[in-house]
Amino acid sequence: MKTHGRIFVSSAAVAIFLMAWQFLPTLGLVDIRYTSQPSSVFKTAINILLNDNLGHHAYVSFMEFIAGFGLAVVIGIPVGIVFGSVKMLRQIVDPPLMALNMMPRLALLPILAVWLGIGMASKIAVVFLGAVMPIIVNTMAGVRETDARLVLAARSFGATHLDIFIRILLPGSLPAVIMGIRLGIGRAILGVVVGEMYVAEAGIGFQIVTYGSSMRIDYLLVYTLLIAGFGYLLTSAARMLENHLSTWRPL
Amino acid sequence: MSPAFLERYRGGFFALFSFLLIGLLWEFAVSANWINPLFVSRPSAVWTQIMAQVSSGELLQNFSISLIEFMIGFGLAMMLGVALGVLAGWFRTVEYALDPFIWFTYAAPLIAFYPLFVANLGLGAPTVIAIAFLFALPAIYANTLSGIQNVDQDMVRMATSFGAGRRDIFLRVALPASMSMVVAGLRLSIGRALTGVVVAEIFGATAGLGYSITYYGQQLQTAQMLVSLLAVVAFGVLLTQTLAAFEARLDWRSAPGT
Repeated sequence: MKTHGRIFVSSAAVAIFLMAWQFLPTLGLVDIRYTSQPSSVFKTAINILLNDNLGHHAYVSFMEFIAGFGLAVVIGIPVGIVFGSVKMLRQIVDPPLMALNMMPRLALLPILAVWLGIGMASKIAVVFLGAVMPIIVNTMAGVRETDARLVLAARSFGATHLDIFIRILLPGSLPAVIMGIRLGIGRAILGVVVGEMYVAEAGIGFQIVTYGSSMRIDYLLVYTLLIAGFGYLLTSAARMLENHLSTWRPL
Repeated sequence: MSPAFLERYRGGFFALFSFLLIGLLWEFAVSANWINPLFVSRPSAVWTQIMAQVSSGELLQNFSISLIEFMIGFGLAMMLGVALGVLAGWFRTVEYALDPFIWFTYAAPLIAFYPLFVANLGLGAPTVIAIAFLFALPAIYANTLSGIQNVDQDMVRMATSFGAGRRDIFLRVALPASMSMVVAGLRLSIGRALTGVVVAEIFGATAGLGYSITYYGQQLQTAQMLVSLLAVVAFGVLLTQTLAAFEARLDWRSAPGT
C-alpha cells in the first residue's frame, strides 16, 4: 500500500509536469525555443541513438571517466591508508590536502587544459582530482577510526606491519572507503562533463556545449538525461554495496 | 614560547611548515630549470602578482563579486531548500511528488543548462546565482527532509500525551530536533554552491574569480591565474571555517531529540 501510494504520487507529479511542458508551448504560453517539448525530446532521443555518432562520444566520455576514476581509486586508497596510519606524515600533508579538499577542483580546469592540452588527458586529470579527494579523506578517516585495540592485539600476537595492514586496516576501513568511492562517482561524472564542455574534441560534454550554444534544447536534454541516468545507476550501485557492507562488517 | 602555546598552535605550525616547504620546492624546481615557469609560474612571481592585484583592487573586486553571487545563490537555496524539506518531511504527498525532480537535480550535471540561463538572464551574476542555487538546493532539501522525518518518535508521543497539538509538535519538537541535520546539509552544500559559482563563472560570466582563472589561463598568464586560484582556495577555507564557528555556537542548545 505504502509503496503503491509513493509510486502513484511520484508518477502523477511527473505526468503533470510532462503535460504542462508539452502543452504550455503549444498554447503559446512559454517560448518553445527555451523549453522544447517532451514529444520533440523523444524524437531527438531516437535520432541521437541512430545517427548522432553517440557511440563515439559516449566511448570517449566513458574512457575518460574510467581512466580518471580508476586512477583515483588505485592511488587514493593506498595514499589514504598511508596518511591515515603515519601520524607524522599526516600532520605535514593535512593542511595542503584540506585546502585542496575545500576548493572546487573544477577551478583547476583552465590550468590543466594548458598543461595537458585539449585531448583526453586534461579530462582524465580533472576527473582524477575530483574523485581522489573524497576517497583519500574518507580512507584516512576510516583507518583512523579502526579500533586501535585490534592493532595492539594483533601486534602482541606477533603480527607484522604487513599483516596488520592487510588483515586489519584494509578490511576495517572498507565501509569508509566505499563511501569515499560513492562520493567520488558524482564528482568524477561532473568532471567529465564540465571538462569536455570547457574544451574538447569529442564526448558527451562536447556535444552538450555544441548543441547548447546553438540553443538545441532537445539535444541538450537528451544528453543531460543520459548523464543523469548513468550517474544515478552508478551511485545506486555504490550505495547498495555500502549498505551491504555496513550490515556485514568484516570486523 | 611556552609548551602550552606550542601545543595550542601545533596545527598552525604544521600548516605553515608544509606550505613553506611546497613553496620552497616549487621555487627551487623552477630555478634549477626542472620545470618550465611558463606552465607553473613560480612563488615569487605569484607573490608579485598578488601585490599588484591587491593594490589595483582587482583581487578584491573579483573576490567580492564571487562572494556576493555565492551568498545570494546559497541564501536562496537555503530558504527554499529548508522550506521544501520541512513541507516534504511533514506531508508525505509533497515528498513523493518532489522526489523525481530532486533526483534529477542531484544526478544531472546542471551546468549543461548554462546556455539556457545565459539566454534568459544574460551573461553575468544572475546566471551564476541561478546555477549556484541549483547546485546547493538538493543537499539542503534532502537533509532537512530526513531531519524532520527522523525525529525521535518517543518525543512526539510524550509531547502528545502532555496535550501538544500538531502545531506544537512541529514548532517545539520536530523543527529544533532537525536543526543538526539542517546544518549538516548546509555544510555539504557550501562546497557544491562554491563549485557552482566557479564553474558558472568559467562558462557564463564576465567577472569574478572563476572568470579571471579562465581569462588568464587562456592568455597563458600563469602567475595571474594562480592568484585567482589561491583566492578560490582561501574562499573555500573561509566558508568552511565560518560554518564550523557557527556550528560551535549551535552546540550550547540541548534541544529535544539530540
